Amino acid sequence: MIEKMRKEIETIEESTLRLKTLAQDNPAIQKNADAILTFIYLLKFITPDQGNSS
Amino acid sequence: MKYWNPYLETLPRKELDRIEFSYFKSILSYAKAHSLLYREKLKDITPNDMKTFDDIKKIPLTDKEELRRYQDIDPYPYGGILGVDIQEVTTFRQTSGTTGKPVYVPETYESWQWRIEAWCHILYMAGFRPHHRVFLPFGYNVYVAFWEAHYASEKLGCELIPGGALDTKGRIHKIIETRANAMMNTPTYGLHIAGEAKNMDINPKSLGIERMLCAGEPMPEATRKRLEDLFGCHVFDHIGGTEPCGWGGMCEEKQGLHIIEPFFLVEILDRETLSRDVEEGETGVVVVTPLGRRSFPLIRFNTKDLVVKGKDSCLCGRTSKKIKEVVGRTDDLRKIRGVLFSPKTVEELIRNEFQEIVEYEIVVERKGMMDDITIRTEVAPDFSGKEIDQVKVRLRENLKVKTNLSFHVQMEPPGSLPRYTLKAKRFKDMREIEKK
Repeated sequence: MIEKMRKEIETIEESTLRLKTLAQDNPAIQKNADAILTFIYLLKFITPDQGNSS
Repeated sequence: MKYWNPYLETLPRKELDRIEFSYFKSILSYAKAHSLLYREKLKDITPNDMKTFDDIKKIPLTDKEELRRYQDIDPYPYGGILGVDIQEVTTFRQTSGTTGKPVYVPETYESWQWRIEAWCHILYMAGFRPHHRVFLPFGYNVYVAFWEAHYASEKLGCELIPGGALDTKGRIHKIIETRANAMMNTPTYGLHIAGEAKNMDINPKSLGIERMLCAGEPMPEATRKRLEDLFGCHVFDHIGGTEPCGWGGMCEEKQGLHIIEPFFLVEILDRETLSRDVEEGETGVVVVTPLGRRSFPLIRFNTKDLVVKGKDSCLCGRTSKKIKEVVGRTDDLRKIRGVLFSPKTVEELIRNEFQEIVEYEIVVERKGMMDDITIRTEVAPDFSGKEIDQVKVRLRENLKVKTNLSFHVQMEPPGSLPRYTLKAKRFKDMREIEKK
């Protein structure tokens, strides 16, 4: 289950990074996308890689 | 739901160790790349040198004095402890400065959220849930613990009532007015609120507090139970610090504190050499590495907290390592007339056996060639004359038995000793002041 969650988190991350690229001239969207990336960092931290994280 | 994070909180020990070791190598690598302190301090060590958990012990400890030294350089005010570009810092916090110049702590949006996530574990295991209306009886200023409590409560879905800018009476009225049913405070201030409520002819139990989380000071079991009796509620402890974050919390079993894993790698080392992990039941010094905070990387930070290592299993089902008891701080241990003395022994005795004593202060002075120790105490106003004399005799005898030291016992008029809201300073070693 954790692996599936991890995959979803990575999908959100890729999508957020694409959004940031699209919104280069919009500080509000950039900043809100950064907030999403912060939570991506947290979500990754609490769903550690299964055995290949080192 | 019993756990905040059922997955992490019930992982087998071996898996937790594997994750923490992996996170340790990552944060070590990050620290060396981004923090001047660690670039210089660990120049001869690389993450690849970390083959097993034991290799972590090769890394020298970091102490507060080093942090102070490295923050004396640019960029102001964080200097070489900073792990990110200073433009990314969103909040300034600092240590209380009890032991010297404060350490300034840089928080980014990311590091703050990481910290809050760790704190959610502390609150959730203490039974805080969305139906709780949490009263925080402090103005938080630049001190981090209550900000953590504030934001973590909010994240859990509790309703927060910030109770700064009021005096104690005003706070009691506000608890009644808002029907707050949970609280976070120092143990000292919890006792003070109870005393003040009684002075207002209000039974503290009638305030309706169901859960209380204590912070800021070591809380002997006797004090925790006293607070439970006074408020008729569940009282929980936790442990942490401004530099490493809150790293341990108490579950509903109330048998010691769980380490918040895998957020923190916590080592409990022998006092003499700071190199050996202590055994269960042994007292040791806590060394903490926050494993995911990048704004201020901290590798093997010597907290100087003294704890007794607990057993690593709990009826609550969490698999995290545990500490049995917080003993105090290495800073607080003093030699008085050749005897090792911890102020916590007195706190424990008074809260356990002297409920008539509402406040006290210990003063150590040098008189000629001898150390002299006095306890100044205030007894509740409804005691007088002969009763006070009896308390005085009993206290002197009990202190002698518990500490092996002869105290002068001095009775003070009601309301004359200082009251504390944050960290209490009930132990004054005038020998150090005289030296300066």
